[in-house]
Amino acid sequence: MKTTVDCFVSVVAPLRNDADIIPSFLDELMACLQENYVDYEVVLVDDSSEDDTVEKVREQIAAHRDVRLLRLSRSFGVETAITAGLDSVIGDYIVVMLPDSDPPEFIAQMVEQARQGAGIVIALREGQRSEGFLFRLFAGGFYWYINRFLKLGIPRESVDFRVLSRKSVNALIQIRDHLRYIRSFSSFVGYGTETFWYKPISRRGKPTTRGFLEAINLGVSIVVANSSHPLRLMSVFALGVSGMAVLYAIWYSALPLFSATAPTEWMTMLAWITVPVFVLFVIAAALCEYIGRILIEIQDRPLYFVAEEWSYGSTVVDDSRKNIARRSIDD
Amino acid sequence: MPHADHYDAIVIGGGFFGCSLALHLRRTRDARVVVLERESEPMQRASYINQARVHNGYHYPRSILTGIRSRVNFPRFVEDMTDCICDDFDAYYAVPRRFSNVTATQFRLFCERIEAPIGPAPKSIKRLFSPDLVEDVFRVTEFTFDSAKLKERMLRELSGAAVELRFETEGIAVRQSEAGGLTVETQSSEGDGLLAADQVFNCTYARTNRLLHRSDLPLVPLKHELTEIALVEVPDELANLAVTVMCGPFFGVLPFPARGLHSLYHVRYTLHGVWHDSDPERYRDPYEILASAGRESRYKRMIKDASRYLPCMSECEYMDSMWEVRTVLPISENDDSRPILYLENCGLEGLTCILGAKIDNIYDMIDFERQLH
Repeated sequence: MKTTVDCFVSVVAPLRNDADIIPSFLDELMACLQENYVDYEVVLVDDSSEDDTVEKVREQIAAHRDVRLLRLSRSFGVETAITAGLDSVIGDYIVVMLPDSDPPEFIAQMVEQARQGAGIVIALREGQRSEGFLFRLFAGGFYWYINRFLKLGIPRESVDFRVLSRKSVNALIQIRDHLRYIRSFSSFVGYGTETFWYKPISRRGKPTTRGFLEAINLGVSIVVANSSHPLRLMSVFALGVSGMAVLYAIWYSALPLFSATAPTEWMTMLAWITVPVFVLFVIAAALCEYIGRILIEIQDRPLYFVAEEWSYGSTVVDDSRKNIARRSIDD
Repeated sequence: MPHADHYDAIVIGGGFFGCSLALHLRRTRDARVVVLERESEPMQRASYINQARVHNGYHYPRSILTGIRSRVNFPRFVEDMTDCICDDFDAYYAVPRRFSNVTATQFRLFCERIEAPIGPAPKSIKRLFSPDLVEDVFRVTEFTFDSAKLKERMLRELSGAAVELRFETEGIAVRQSEAGGLTVETQSSEGDGLLAADQVFNCTYARTNRLLHRSDLPLVPLKHELTEIALVEVPDELANLAVTVMCGPFFGVLPFPARGLHSLYHVRYTLHGVWHDSDPERYRDPYEILASAGRESRYKRMIKDASRYLPCMSECEYMDSMWEVRTVLPISENDDSRPILYLENCGLEGLTCILGAKIDNIYDMIDFERQLH
């Protein structure tokens, strides 16, 4: 007899041009879920794929009654696709995973850990990353900063793969920020987090990595969206520099009292102009980031639109549908 | 060969539409009518197994005609069937923030346009809903009917009007008789029989095509849905409420007077499968499909999703499920409209196929029949 656990597990997986890996991913996933749970559902969110991902998923839905597909109206990005899934799932425990890199075999262990513990289990990636030295240096500095000063609580090895309790999902979907970053959200909602080390796989054979500029961009956005710490830093910096400038001015004014050889005029002018202007530009740049963020958030647009939902009920039992002559009857 | 009794009209199918039609023919034309019903009582299938909602238009923001017809028929139905109407509850419609095909404003405007009474829900009701997921809640005027009482009433009226009823008798096929007119082959526990009539009405709903198929007539393109409606005991807060969440993959929980419980349906989970009648070679009896279906209840999913929007739903207790085939017209697939199919001389002179979609729509059918003659 199977020993199945009596809790409803939902799996959310964002898809984008994943037609090649969808069948193997779903086969593995469904086998794991069937083995461990009585009640489960899989919500696949198609972030407007350009290949035949949707057709592939529809074929699978005909075989698996617990798979649903949400098709977004255009591409909104992986994190927004995850949000759309979280908005729709009904389970007690919700697994977020990426089809390419996250192996379904760990779901049971992670859910069990979440059930025993506080409710959130985040997966941490084992093993060496493939990025270059400079990338890793920046990443190290970034994580040190956001965790040390912003207290975001995002471990450097963390990925999207995680298990969330119903309570934490209910809290998480109340955050309607436009910068979707589930790693900072699930740390923000609290409820206690446990970690689970795993080794990512790669169904495609080549790991997907972020480009350097893309990573910098995301890093800045995360900092700006989550904290006003850099602004505070700027204020302190600006105060410091202007304080020094005042001191310098006093010292310079007082100089003729002590010395007969004052510095030449042009050198003082240069010092007077370059340093504060540099500071001003740095502050302006920081302000720009914040103003941009405010604009995006203040617009308060919906995060995504759903083009359609497909589930087992909406699939046709037999395939004779195309033979229908739609004669207009009635009225 | 048994002797063929001759009738003015034979109605095959003793559901609400079949019975009402027989009454109508008897009363207005003094016709000699017989109703053939395979069950031992009338109105046991789709007329019994449904949400028992008396529509007042709210349900059709995507089909204004269906909305308006419901508005027109509602007062008439409620007045005619007063003793079968259950109105001792308050009805509310909620519009979710996400995944809904209408916004709260659109829904309100639609209701005002079809002049369906609508007002804001009181705070005590709004508090029952999750504010994060539900945009707004409206108070509406909508009732349910007691299908058991409706059946009793129908039986009284039929016997009062001296309509002949043959229960546990199936109309199997219709043929053109040589003398003109039609003959119906029947099947019952007492054996096979033949009945003759000038007119035959096929009111078998899901089995409309089965009769046509057995009669070697072309099929009507129809879409069937295998549905499950859960019966639940709701927590006290909902005892006197009917809640419908519109319009998308949401749910409704309404009093079901015939069982003293609430019926719970969920657009996503009520549907267990869909198929189409089109190819005669591959035709299958919908009741056979229903009987052979796995019937793995999805009530847990219905309750789980419902309690996201209406948290107290998590306390409701599942009692039973009702399984039935719902038949809809392919033309109404995309707009939710629920027209009545009325096909005269459907393959044979004198054979009429009628497929109703909602019980309260009966007057449209009766009026149309009257117009034709």
